[in-house]
Amino acid sequence: MLALTLEQRSWLHAVPAGAKMAAVALAVVLVVPVTDPAVIGAMVLGVAALYGSAGAMALRAGLRLLRPLVLMLAIIMAWHLLMGEARLGLVICLRILGLVALANLVTLTTRLDDMMAVLEWLMAPLTRLGLPTGRLALAVALAIRTIPALSLKADALREAWRARATRRPGPQLAFPLVLLALDDATHVAEALRARGGLAATETTKQKRN
Amino acid sequence: MAGTGGIQLDNISLSRAGRPVLAPTTLRLDEQRIGIVGRNGSGKSSLLRVIAGLQAPDQGRVSVAGTDMQGDRKTAIRRLGILFQNPDHQIIFPTVDEEIAFGIRQLGASRAEARTRARAVLEAHGRADWAERSTQALSQGQRHYLCLMAVLAMQPAVILLDEPFSGLDIPTTLHLHRALDALDQQVVLVSHDPAQIARFDRVIWLEGGRIEADGPADAVLPEFSQRMQALGAQTPCWP
Amino acid sequence: MERSFVFVALFAALIAVLGLVPSFMLITGVPISAQSLGVMLAGAVLGARRGALAVLLLLLLVALGLPLLAGGRGGLGVFVGPTAGFLVGFPVAAFVTGWITERWRSMDLALVAGVAALVGGVLVLYAFGVAGMVLAAGLSPVQALTALSAFIPGDIIKAAIAGVVTRAIWQARPDAVLSRAH
Repeated sequence: MLALTLEQRSWLHAVPAGAKMAAVALAVVLVVPVTDPAVIGAMVLGVAALYGSAGAMALRAGLRLLRPLVLMLAIIMAWHLLMGEARLGLVICLRILGLVALANLVTLTTRLDDMMAVLEWLMAPLTRLGLPTGRLALAVALAIRTIPALSLKADALREAWRARATRRPGPQLAFPLVLLALDDATHVAEALRARGGLAATETTKQKRN
Repeated sequence: MAGTGGIQLDNISLSRAGRPVLAPTTLRLDEQRIGIVGRNGSGKSSLLRVIAGLQAPDQGRVSVAGTDMQGDRKTAIRRLGILFQNPDHQIIFPTVDEEIAFGIRQLGASRAEARTRARAVLEAHGRADWAERSTQALSQGQRHYLCLMAVLAMQPAVILLDEPFSGLDIPTTLHLHRALDALDQQVVLVSHDPAQIARFDRVIWLEGGRIEADGPADAVLPEFSQRMQALGAQTPCWP
Repeated sequence: MERSFVFVALFAALIAVLGLVPSFMLITGVPISAQSLGVMLAGAVLGARRGALAVLLLLLLVALGLPLLAGGRGGLGVFVGPTAGFLVGFPVAAFVTGWITERWRSMDLALVAGVAALVGGVLVLYAFGVAGMVLAAGLSPVQALTALSAFIPGDIIKAAIAGVVTRAIWQARPDAVLSRAH
């Protein structure tokens, strides 16, 4: 399974992940109180310029990520037009557009392991308090490892459906898929126990650091 | 309906992510028992899925008893049934009779009718007591058998099987062999093991998505076995 | 302990796969993903706490940049968009579904899990979703609910499916249904 990160590197890839995420948080705080469409419009243009500076690939990927938002924004704008609040509607739609695009830009220009590093940094105080945070990294790895395998199994089940049916596969597939996941989980748990279990994840973690 | 198969492949080819999987192939398959052999990744399963209409070829056309397997899915599922390698990837429903009734309903039967016919299928196979049982409580061999019954319940003219013997113990394998021998249907069976198709009318040997040899089992299989042994003697032998 | 830990991780994966794979259509023509069915099942099968953890893990993966939400959405953007309320509501929905399933044992599991999914996965989830739209999009609750109304029938059907599927899993793998295990 592929993360959304762009392979083509840009200057934004080099900016530390923590700084980029802090910038998004700051943008949210700064932009929410603004009610002047011109100011927010300028921010949207600024975000677009950031995308531009990251290259044509970033721009294209960014627009693709925004596509599911279009219908939602159209509905929001329509409601506000109906209420005779065109200006407010414009402010809200531009705000959503700008913030979502900015947050997506961080995702597009940050590698998965850099994101993990930020997560570990955020968790560090909890680790020092003695909470088993090594477990979280293991859970993330386990889930990421499982998704492609499970989705292949889902494909196989869909194919089995199509081999006998003309209708599209339905939610009935949830049952065999959940069973496959649960059986997988039982095996993985055994493999984990066979190699020292969860307790070992914490100690190896500390050794590595 | 059984017994009138006849699979026609017209210049089909298939590629995945730019890599050719099946070279352009034209084939007419009329024999009652046809085996497809080849190494891992030789395109056996892809060919089977193209024949079943589950995978659209890049070009060309597949028809079974005159039915276009891509264009006319409604008739296609009456013409042909496919048994997957792993029953876990085939069984969709929690109970045995639901699993069998599903295909029958897809052919247009009402819920009640499908249920009755599913029970009749179980009875015909001497497994009437399975009806209410959980599909997940069956053994691996029993689940294989359930998949076969579910396919047979739709009375197709052709049955495709993808490595049906993998993971089965010897008694279960022998039992499945007997069940297959007794079928009126045309059977196309994919295997990497020449022993499983030794008595077949025709064997097609695939290598790198191309037909390496095509003929009666005793004409094709000896050379296939010899070549596989020779490959296994080399290191490394991973394709 | 390893088992319930792995169950949580694999259920996170399962919810993702359900979101990516089979979307079905209602007569209304609205595409419905099975992702929220996954959230309901997480609660009903794993119980309140572990169900919510599985959903939180999925959200973490999404925030890390993986396109695991229905329709291949993902990344940080979805957490500041107009539907972010639903994401906040996901773990709560799983928790409530699991909480009810764990406590109400006197009836048939399909009914219990179905009702639990209806309360947790529809009522609670939409409360969060609507609140999110009110905050982010400046709509009134009624307007937000109207905009979402096309999806409600599908979600009610999913709650019923969650009930039936939970019972079927319980019959097939009784000890895997942690919400009923002890």
